[in-house]
Amino acid sequence: MGATPRALRAVALLLGFHALNLVLLAALAALDAAALRWAPGPVAGKIVVVSVLLAIPVVRGMFMLRTPKDEDVAGLPVTEADEPRLWALVRELADTAGTRAPDRIVLTGDVNAGVTERPRLLGLLPGPRRLHLGIPLMTGLSEAQLRAVLAHEYGHFTGGDTRLSAVVVRGRTQIERVIGQLHAKAGHTAAKERARQEKAAAKAAAKGREAKEIDTSGAGLTYRAMARIYTLYGNFYLRASLTTARDQEYAADLAAARIAGRDATSSALREIPALATAHDFYLECYATLGVRARLMPPRGEFFGGFGRMLSARALELVQLRTQLPDEPASPYDSHPPIAERVRRIEALPADGRTEEAKGGALDLLTDSERTLTALEDVVLTEEARTFRRTADWDELLDAAMAAALTSLDTPLHRALAFYTKDRPTLPGLLTVIDDGQLWRLAQRLPLSDEAAAAKGRAFREFVRPVMRDSLRSMALAEFSAHSLVRWEFSWERAATPHLPGSTADGGEDTEAGAVLDAAVDAALADRPDTGPLRALLPPARTA
Amino acid sequence: MTVLLWILGILAIPTLLFVLWLAWVFVKEYVKESRSPSAEGNSEAAEKFGLLPPERQNTDHAAPLPADWAAALSAVRGGEWRPAADVLRGIGRDWERRSAAAYLLAEHAAEDDTWLLGWETEHPDDPDAALVRARSTVILAWEIRGAQRANHTTREQFEGFHRMLARSREEIARAAALNPDDPTPYITEIWVALGLGYPNSEMDKLWADITARAPHHYEAHFSALQYWCAKWRGSERLATEFAERAAADAPLGSLLTALPLIAHYEHDESEDSAVDRTPEMVARVDAALADAAAADPAHPRLPELRHLLAYYLSLQDRDEAALEQFKLVDGYVNALPWRYRGDMAEYYCGVRDASAAAVAAAAGPNA
Repeated sequence: MGATPRALRAVALLLGFHALNLVLLAALAALDAAALRWAPGPVAGKIVVVSVLLAIPVVRGMFMLRTPKDEDVAGLPVTEADEPRLWALVRELADTAGTRAPDRIVLTGDVNAGVTERPRLLGLLPGPRRLHLGIPLMTGLSEAQLRAVLAHEYGHFTGGDTRLSAVVVRGRTQIERVIGQLHAKAGHTAAKERARQEKAAAKAAAKGREAKEIDTSGAGLTYRAMARIYTLYGNFYLRASLTTARDQEYAADLAAARIAGRDATSSALREIPALATAHDFYLECYATLGVRARLMPPRGEFFGGFGRMLSARALELVQLRTQLPDEPASPYDSHPPIAERVRRIEALPADGRTEEAKGGALDLLTDSERTLTALEDVVLTEEARTFRRTADWDELLDAAMAAALTSLDTPLHRALAFYTKDRPTLPGLLTVIDDGQLWRLAQRLPLSDEAAAAKGRAFREFVRPVMRDSLRSMALAEFSAHSLVRWEFSWERAATPHLPGSTADGGEDTEAGAVLDAAVDAALADRPDTGPLRALLPPARTA
Repeated sequence: MTVLLWILGILAIPTLLFVLWLAWVFVKEYVKESRSPSAEGNSEAAEKFGLLPPERQNTDHAAPLPADWAAALSAVRGGEWRPAADVLRGIGRDWERRSAAAYLLAEHAAEDDTWLLGWETEHPDDPDAALVRARSTVILAWEIRGAQRANHTTREQFEGFHRMLARSREEIARAAALNPDDPTPYITEIWVALGLGYPNSEMDKLWADITARAPHHYEAHFSALQYWCAKWRGSERLATEFAERAAADAPLGSLLTALPLIAHYEHDESEDSAVDRTPEMVARVDAALADAAAADPAHPRLPELRHLLAYYLSLQDRDEAALEQFKLVDGYVNALPWRYRGDMAEYYCGVRDASAAAVAAAAGPNA
């Protein structure tokens, strides 16, 4: 399809969206008129109220009078005075791409970059542009790769031969927004209805009556029905515009390769999914490690640690980069599979621009440390900001592990409490083992059907892995309670516990792994021996 | 009014068809029912030949155990290991018997190894105890896995299975080191190879270790054939080639003529017995008959071959010869092909009784 028919189709589809809005509004108005004319008063009143409620999201969708607040990503706006180099880069790239530079730059806390534009006049006129730039993304990319990412984004505004290509994207966003609003309303209505019914049920229960089952499937039905109409149109719209959307991605990639260089573009494409995975891992295993203990890493480290982890785990990243997803995320995803995009870029002739701008993208910032700290204050939740900051990562790890071990609750704890009707403690468990009751105790563990059916050695082998993990944790908790365990923090691998060494080693502490594992295995052997584990434990306190 | 009748008439057609189908099913069931007296007649004929009913068939073994083996097995059940040690020491270098006896003891040790622990404590480097230990861990592994196909086996089962198999490799190596001439540890390892999926090249190396020690060992060949079957790590072609080569190379009386029959059985998915009556299958059965006749009558695996022979002779309508084999093994049914079925005694008796009835009918009403 040529550029002109494509543009015409885009306009037609966008107009179709507005036509749909008008038809729906007209239908609602007609319904109201009919109701007022023929229906009895109260019924007519209700119909009018419902139709007005339904009309609100439609009207909102048409004019987007305001962007709903939650769509605003939390971020740190930076002015040209704050970050002259970043702004210079952004402007230079916009110039080269032949499009308007954004009016604002906002640094965010995710692995993402994007230029958004608030549409005006039914989405036909351009509005103010805003560049979102994720600090974790900048942390992982070189300057050249960042240029490629930005060039790709600008490519969307210049892509195709017509500026109307943006109309398609804009129309899609608008339909998505209307559907989203309708669904949100439906969810809100259903939640209100649920709360009302729960209250009624609680009252009924208090009077000794049997409560009705709570059913909210009816609530919000009208909103959902409206959303359905838009979803149908949206699907049609997407199908009609999907090839265009994917072609536009390829075109934007080509533009990026032209502006930022072939190698920078392809490596940036490889890097982004790897960075997203790594960042998820970082958030879970490092940044939010102390949340349960209400602790946070030192100031500036919430975002700063990511870069350190990336350099320590460079080898793992290499692997992530080579495993590219070769399927689109969903049939309606406007982005073609990354693997295909990389393949197309790498098929371009070499342009000899491998050595450009190899510095880290984060170095573009005037004072990256100060920026990372400032970003924390904007991005972290109110609650997280009140958490105590530890002096360093080691302290965070130690405190987090100690807190986790104090509140330790393994299946073995529950089985032991059930079996002995006593508080589950390690000495208690060792006594049970010494009395030869280990496998009786094991029958109180939550068991799979196969394990429950097994007997003798087979049963013991089924439960042994759970027992080993639980006992190991219990032992570590015991050491931790006596401040005998020290956790070794590492950016490369999982934290490892260290125990104070025997005096023979000159008091040097040793990695707990092998010694502890051997002692745990001995305690759980077919002929259990709790000796080695008892030897590791601190001498019993005199009561 | 006529229109209504037409509509009712059209609606009646499916109902009528359904009633007809129901009647047909009913008649079929009735015919089946009325045929069962003839099955009863079969078992009457079997009884006349002195053969036992299903409830009196032993489903633990393929044949009666030697008296000292049976005594050793009941002793280990009571926690006493010495008779078991005596049995294995007495067998010495008779590898066929050693592997069979070690397997039976290991089966017990897989359930409860208290007696074995006692034996190991007293004789830490006893090669016989080490062998039973290794075999018991492999059996335990397969028990944890269960007999279901992979998609009905849970992750927990697979993890236990692989953990046990990994542990058994060390125990196998230890048993082999303590008795370097013994092929049995390596035979045990074939079942590790099956479970862990050794590549064919590894299996060939293992096989060289075995044949260097016992070139025509029955259990070794039986186990290796399982490895080469399509359902494990081979294919129908590899299994058949392996079986035919082993049978051709083995001296008469080594019982390896059972292998082509087993290979055929393992890959036979046909519904009728046409594939079991081909000239090729008749020749295989004839070879196995000659093999069984030449074998040592006390060969521990001879009854297993007789079970197979009885099955295929019966399928080939050589009922006289089948009945002869049935009579030799009757009372014990834990052997191929019956073993693969939950109702092995009933299955065995059904096939046996058909042959017995055919023989009785051929002999005439005066017999």
